[in-house]
Amino acid sequence: MSIAQVTDAVIDIEEVRKKYRGGVEALRGVSLKVPRGQIFGLLGPNGAGKSTLVKILLTIVRASQCRGEMLGKPVGDQATLSRVGYLPEHARFPEYLKGREVLRYVAGLGGVAKADAIKKSQELLEVVGMEDWANRKMGSYSKGMKQRIGLAQALVNDPEIVFLDEPTDGVDPKGRLEMRAVLNRMKDEGRTVFVNSHLLGELEMICDSVAIMDQGQIVRQGTIAELTEKTRRYEIGVMGALGSEILGKLKTHGVNMEADRLTMYHQDAGEVQPVIDLLRAADVTITSMTEVRQSLEELFMETVGDKGPGAAMPPKLPKKEKA
Amino acid sequence: MTQILTIFWDSYRLLTAKRLFWVALGLSILIALLYASVNVGENGISVLFGAYEWASPGGIPAFLAQYIYLTTFTNVLVPFWLGLFAIVLALISVCSVFPNFLESGSIDVAVSKPISRVTLFFTKYLSSLLFVGVQVLVFCVIVFIAFGLRMESWNFGIFWAVPLIIFVFSLIYSVAVLIAVWTKSTLLSLLMAFLVWGVSWGFQAAESFLYKMAYTIPSAGLKMDYSTGESEQSDTPQELDPGLAQIHRVVKLVAVPLPKTRDATYLLKTKIKINGKDLTQKGAFLAEEDDTSMQNIHKAEEELANRHSESYVIGSSLAFEAVILSLACFIFVKRDY
Repeated sequence: MSIAQVTDAVIDIEEVRKKYRGGVEALRGVSLKVPRGQIFGLLGPNGAGKSTLVKILLTIVRASQCRGEMLGKPVGDQATLSRVGYLPEHARFPEYLKGREVLRYVAGLGGVAKADAIKKSQELLEVVGMEDWANRKMGSYSKGMKQRIGLAQALVNDPEIVFLDEPTDGVDPKGRLEMRAVLNRMKDEGRTVFVNSHLLGELEMICDSVAIMDQGQIVRQGTIAELTEKTRRYEIGVMGALGSEILGKLKTHGVNMEADRLTMYHQDAGEVQPVIDLLRAADVTITSMTEVRQSLEELFMETVGDKGPGAAMPPKLPKKEKA
Repeated sequence: MTQILTIFWDSYRLLTAKRLFWVALGLSILIALLYASVNVGENGISVLFGAYEWASPGGIPAFLAQYIYLTTFTNVLVPFWLGLFAIVLALISVCSVFPNFLESGSIDVAVSKPISRVTLFFTKYLSSLLFVGVQVLVFCVIVFIAFGLRMESWNFGIFWAVPLIIFVFSLIYSVAVLIAVWTKSTLLSLLMAFLVWGVSWGFQAAESFLYKMAYTIPSAGLKMDYSTGESEQSDTPQELDPGLAQIHRVVKLVAVPLPKTRDATYLLKTKIKINGKDLTQKGAFLAEEDDTSMQNIHKAEEELANRHSESYVIGSSLAFEAVILSLACFIFVKRDY
């Protein structure tokens, strides 16, 4: 499904701009639509403006300019925030509170009634696997455990959208696997999950659609399938050398030959069938056939050039005018 | 309402998690119990539940015993323990509340909730006053019971110390909060709070001293020769020194916008009453009826104690607090986190 065709968008913003004091332009006219019920990934190198965009949607940062809506209400509407969950990057929760108390504290700030908060907290502690640790203080938790509590607190008000800023930061591989399961569970429950991350492999596995940000702008957005469509190709492995006659015929089908591998750039597997027929007719042994797509990481690198994750330069400062 | 209660609950959990809170509370209870161990009775004064006794040959009348017992509370315990050491401990304990709250990753969660930043700020500020509130309340309960059992008179005026000390603390803490939201520095906010407290205390003490020199001493009939250091007591009030009066007026004017931490603490003496007389009316408890010079001295001291109206002390301090908190709230609300 193309994002452009989506009408039920939980976030629909246009021309969002943010200029910090000192002239640093963090966002330069961001327009974005996030479909309901999907896991949406926002990618970009450090300093691209991902966190600023999320913070604007959550009223943590005030936009210099913002048009659009979140959950059908203008961005900045305070009541809407009760329908939103958020796990900030490097989240800090009071160390003197127990895990269970953190959930009740966040629920209370969100205006959730005490009885509901108690019930929901217990349920979420089980979901994130922290029920055995719930009565210990946050100060005694490992980074991964804190992140699990962070994830649970983002859900304690039963939100329609959950914003997760680098949710797998500090989480071990097993924890990441479990977190992916939790994210998929959120999606199954009908929530929209908005993930900011630079771990592209993680996002590729869970996201339905993504947007790539660079230097304060959205440079690409769509489903992963759409974005990687152009690079779809089929690779056929063959055994032994091919004769000149068949090589000539293969070239007419747009086949590239490299060592023992034939490569064809086609969108449809049906277009590959004549090539297989040719190979079979010439008694060529086919060892493998693979559909290959560009990975999200390759797409990302192609989009932002050599400014890969962690390698981005900070935004340029405005030049001071001479008096 | 759920959100406000949540912030108060969180502050309660924070203060009970602080070791300094329990140390201060323990010291408060110890000092209150020491006070409770003192007895001022018809036969004299005893301390440590009768371990040491000083007999009074002429006996101490009940109203005078009450006066001595309560002025020990208002003139010693309140200004030195509750109004100084307890406040210093409280400031050290809570001055990190706002800087910690404003740390990235912590403030984000709070301000992304459906609660206005103004409500969030003021609730956080008010809930931080719990530290002092709990200490003073426990202290006053012990003093109230001790006084009631010793004097067989239940004086609820003692509890005026609770709002007054919280108010004094809130004045100093407001400065710490302003610096905290501005710089996010715990150390700087603590230093600035102490600085403003010290400066305002200095001006109040100077104003009080100058008033005493310019008005109280002449009114009491005392004539001072500052070149020789000799003094002369007469039954009639002396002439005022216009130069000292002028200096007093200037210092008082400078002190107007400052928080009246010292003066507010001493307001307690006007709030606690024995037989309808407040504790500033020294003459009603101590003066001999036929001793004119002592009556003049007590009258002058009463004027000194009541030279500022309650509305001036509270009003000017509230104005200071309002300005400081408005500025702090403005920064808190407008800031990007």
